[in-house]
This record gives sequence, C-alpha cells and structure tokens, in this order.
Amino acid sequence: MMELTLIILILLAGFYMSWSIGANDVANAMGTSVGSGALTLRRAVFVAAILEFSGAFFFGSHVSKTVQSGIINAEIFAPNPQILVYGMLSALIAAGAWLQLASYYGWPVSTTHTIVGSLVGFGALVGGMEAIYWDHVGFIISSWILSPILGGILGYYIFTLLRKQIFYASDPVTAAKKLTPIFVFFVIAVFAIVLLFEGIGNHHLDLTTPEVFFWAVCIAGVGAVISHFIVARIEHTPVEKPHPVYGPDVITALEKAGKHLRRVQAATAGEVQYNVSFLIEEVDEINRSVRRTAEVADSHAEYQKVEQIFAFLQIMSACLMAFAHGANDVANAIGPLSASIAILTSGTIAASAPVPTWALALGGAGIVVGLATWGWRVIETIGKKITELTPTRGFAAEFGAATTIVLASRLGLPISTTHTLVGAVIGVGFARGIGALNLTTTRDIVISWIVTVPAGASLTIIFYFVINTLFGT
Amino acid sequence: MLTILSLFGRSPFAPLKSHMENVSRCVLKLRPLFEAMEAMDNDAIERIAVEISEQEHLADLTKNDIRNHLPKSLFMPIDRSNLLKILSIQDSIADCAEDIAVVATLKPLKLLPSFKQDFYHFLDKNIEAFHVVHQIIHELHDLLESSFGGLEAERVRIMIDDVAFKEHEVDLIQRKLLKNFYNAEEEMPYSSFHQWQSIFKALGDISNLSENLAESIRMTLVLK
Repeated sequence: MMELTLIILILLAGFYMSWSIGANDVANAMGTSVGSGALTLRRAVFVAAILEFSGAFFFGSHVSKTVQSGIINAEIFAPNPQILVYGMLSALIAAGAWLQLASYYGWPVSTTHTIVGSLVGFGALVGGMEAIYWDHVGFIISSWILSPILGGILGYYIFTLLRKQIFYASDPVTAAKKLTPIFVFFVIAVFAIVLLFEGIGNHHLDLTTPEVFFWAVCIAGVGAVISHFIVARIEHTPVEKPHPVYGPDVITALEKAGKHLRRVQAATAGEVQYNVSFLIEEVDEINRSVRRTAEVADSHAEYQKVEQIFAFLQIMSACLMAFAHGANDVANAIGPLSASIAILTSGTIAASAPVPTWALALGGAGIVVGLATWGWRVIETIGKKITELTPTRGFAAEFGAATTIVLASRLGLPISTTHTLVGAVIGVGFARGIGALNLTTTRDIVISWIVTVPAGASLTIIFYFVINTLFGT
Repeated sequence: MLTILSLFGRSPFAPLKSHMENVSRCVLKLRPLFEAMEAMDNDAIERIAVEISEQEHLADLTKNDIRNHLPKSLFMPIDRSNLLKILSIQDSIADCAEDIAVVATLKPLKLLPSFKQDFYHFLDKNIEAFHVVHQIIHELHDLLESSFGGLEAERVRIMIDDVAFKEHEVDLIQRKLLKNFYNAEEEMPYSSFHQWQSIFKALGDISNLSENLAESIRMTLVLK
C-alpha cells in the first residue's frame, strides 16, 4: 500500500516537473519564430510538440542516465533503498517548489540547476560526502559555465558569417539564396548525425562512425538541394507580402483619433500633456504608414527579402532547438523518477539500471501536455515581446544554442537550455546584431547559479524529513 | 521564467528617431519664421517662436527619457558614448533653432533688400544640410538591420558626404552674405545689426552641427 502511494506520488511529481518544463521553456525555441511570423502559433505548438517529444524519447536517455545514477552513488544506500526513493521524491518536489517561487519573483533560475542542486544536497547530507560523485558533479557544474560561453561563441561566429556574407554583400538577396543551402546542410547534418548515432541503440541500426557521417552527409545534401530549389523559386514569385488594403474609413478614424487627442493635449498640462503628445505622434505615424505602406515596403525590400528567406532557416533551427531541449531537459523529470521506480519495483538498487523507454515517453508526454495547456501562452508572449530577434538573428542564436545543447546531451551533461540560449543571443549581440541587450541579466544568471544549488539542497532536506516522518519506518 | 525576455533591453534607437523628429519640427519652422518677418507679421513671429520653443521642450523631454533609460549595462551595436554624442548634437540643433527664434522676437527686425536674397539662400542651404542628416537618422532602422555595413552603409556614407558638401556651400554663401551685410551697416540700427549677427551665427551652426552629427554616424559604419 505504502509503495503504491509512493509510486503514484513519484509519477505525479515527475509528471509535474515535465509539465513545468513544457510550460515554461519550450517558448525559448519557438517564441521568436512565432514573433517573426515564420510560423503561426498553432503550427509552432504542433511542431514543438512533435520535436520535444522525439527529442525526449529518442535522445533523452543520456542525460536522464546522468541524473538517475551519475550524481548520487546509489550503492551507499543499498542497505536501506527506501531512503533513496524518499530522497528522489523530495528532490522532485523541492525543485518544483523552488521553480514556482523563482517564477513568481522572476528570477532566471534553471530547472536543471535546481534538480542537480537538490540531488547533491540530499545525497551529501543524508548519505554523507562519499555518496556524491564529486568529479561528475564538478564536470556538470563546469558545463553550466561552458555551455553559455560555447553557445555565445557559436552565435557570434554564425552571425558574423551572415553579416559579412549577406548583409555586407552588394546583393544581399542573391547572397542569402546562395548561402541558404549551405546552412540547411549544416542544420540537417547536425540533426542526422545525432539521430543516426542514437538509432543504433533503439532501432538496431548498427552503423559505424564513418557510415553515420556518410549517411548524414547524404541526407543533408538532399535537404540542401531541395532547399536550393525552394529558395530559387522565391525569385520568380513576387516576394512582397500582400499588404492589407486599408479603406478610407480607417484613415478617417485615425484622423479623428488624432483630432480628439489634440483636444486632450490642449486641455491638459504637465505629464498628461507630455504623454498625450507621444500618443499623437504615434497616431500620426500610423496614419502616415497606413498611407504609404507600399512606398516603405519598396525601400526596405532587399532586407525584407533576406529575412523572408531566413524565416525558413529559422524554423529549422527552432526545430533543432526544440529537439535538443526535449533531449536535455526531460532528464530533470525522468532521472529521479526512473531511479526511484526501479528501486520500488525491484526492491533493490541496481547501480546502472537503464532508463526505461516508458519513462522517457512519460516525460515527453508531460512536456507536450505542458506545452498544450500553458506553454503556448508563453510562446505567444515571447513572440510578441521579442521583436528584435528577426529571422537572421534568431537563426544564428538558435543554431548556436541548439548545437551546444545537442553536444551536451550527447555527453550526458544536464545543462540549462535557457542559459545557453541567453549566451547565444549575447553572442549575436556582440556581433552587432541586436539593438539593445540588457547585460544585467548575465549578472542575475550568475547569482542564480550560486543561489539555486544551496536553495534546492536545503528545500530537499526539508521535504526529505517531512516524507521520512510520513512514510518512514 | 522568462529569462530570455529580460535579456532584451529597451532599444534607444526608436526614441532617438522620434527625438530627431522633434528637432526637425523646430528647424522646419525657421523658414515660416523669416517669411513672417519679411511680411512684418509680429504676431506670427511670436506664435512660431512659441511653437519652436514647445518643440524644443518636447525634444528635451525625449532626450532625458533616452538618457534615463541608458544604463551602462546596456549593450548596443554602437558605442554608448557615440550614441550619447549623436543625441546631444541633435539636441544642440534644436537649441540653435530656438535661439534664432528668440533673437527674432527680441525686437522687430527688417529683412533688408540688400542681403535678403543671400539670406534666404543661406537659410535654405542650412535647412537642406539638416534635412539630409535627418534622412540619415531615418535610415537608422535599416542600418541596424544590416549591422551598419554593406549597401545601406554605402548609401548612408553618400548622404554623409552630401552633408559635408552642403556645409561647405553654406560657408561660401555665408561669406557673400556677410560682405553684403557689413556693407549695409548704415541702413540699420546697432541693435538690429547685432541681432542679425547672432542669427547668422546660430543658423551657420545648424549646418556645422549637422555635419558633426553626420560624422558621428560615419564612425559607426563598417565600410570597405
């Protein structure tokens, strides 16, 4: 009976964690594509759901295994395996609580850091210092610092490449068309290498390393050729977005609005008047732009076309990002869950139990549910607010971040996808790509690194004692 | 958990453009001001001076707003000090226009036929120089998009050269204007003479400042 309650509790906690990952963090991958108009919200949610799930399901085992058995030395708890189950459960609950608190106050806290902090806190205080694989933990912590830096370096160089080859070219649109297949090649190649290496275990596709590279190059080559034709076709069809034609009623209404605002301006003074004058200016600006939409579109046509071409690439990089995110972050929920379920069902501790496939599917499903119930709202918010990340910028940042995350996932390192993306965006900014970056965020992130681990650890201890008194013998 | 949102700061470029709009409204009122002076319409002069001063005040508010929201931690594609310099030059242009309007209201002035032609020529050239630099600020959006390089930078560079050339033309016209003006010293009282001198000085400053502004923008470009 007790065990059944525990299993249900653990499943609920694990599902809640994966729900929260889906609700909060998927937006990082998809938000900007929605914002730039490359994807509609509905399509973005659909694509993200598929890729997050497949990332978690096919590629999530490496990091999950690290969280499951790479941080705490389970054999220390062999005499009394129940303790480890309580610990894993309290780590999940503590991480959930800490994330709630952090999102309430708007701290840039990472799910990954919280879970690792919770596990380390529990292991070190309950099992003693020797219960933690400190060398692994050191490795993980150094990856937290290295991953944003690597993401930043990649973002910087990818955007510098775009800038030098496309924006500084005498004909940006042709240059963008020439470069697109090359970028498509690299994005698909990263994807294919990852999937083919993974295919070995799951689908009995036994490929040697050279074979993997051969097939990856083939698939990427086909993708590049297809993209070449798609991009070439853009030239023939008129690329100008159809502008909505505004009727005269719109213009008269705008003029009326301006007239009324001017009345308000005349009748007020001080701050109100100042604010109203801004409104008037804005109304006038809209008025002018409504009248001259065609003219404006003409003069900025070449850069707009470049952005249109990159909208396709941005969708691809967003997909890679969603996949990488699913692969890395599902571990935060599934690692502790599968560790404790293994103990509860078998009654003993297996030092290196494999991560069960159903657990990965559960985590993936949790992410998808989180995305469907709450995450889409966050995607919408991010899409509306981050207008500066146009397709070229978004592609550079997302491709840089996703490559880093895929690499870390392959190495089994649980890293923060958000912080990596922040690093990549800053990299793009340093390549003169973004109007204004708020670098205080980096300071907040560093503070969150320092605070999260002890906070997660102490919360876990509290929950551990609560659970121990409720269920303990 | 919207860490990524907090990363994007408030971009100063849109307010910078709107500041320039305010400045341009000051400068574009100068021509009507002197036309009113020619028509000896003192009420119109007063009214235009008040309008210019209002616009200048609005420009000041925008300027303060930009400065208040420009923390050291904000990372921009152009140097922070350069941005502040651009802003302060834009503001000085508005100040110049306001100075001219104030001097014009101090005591009724007469636009004498001996230098009227040259004066309008001088006025229009100054406004033209300003107009080009105004266009440059308008292009900022495209400059940001192209990371301050390529075609767009080339286009802006040509405009900057144009401002410099117009400033040079202003100097030539000013020489001719001053010659005629000094020769006409007997036709006006000393106070008018001094008023005119201040007006010429401030008007000439508009093109000088426009050139400085254009040069500051050139510093941000990546040219081959």
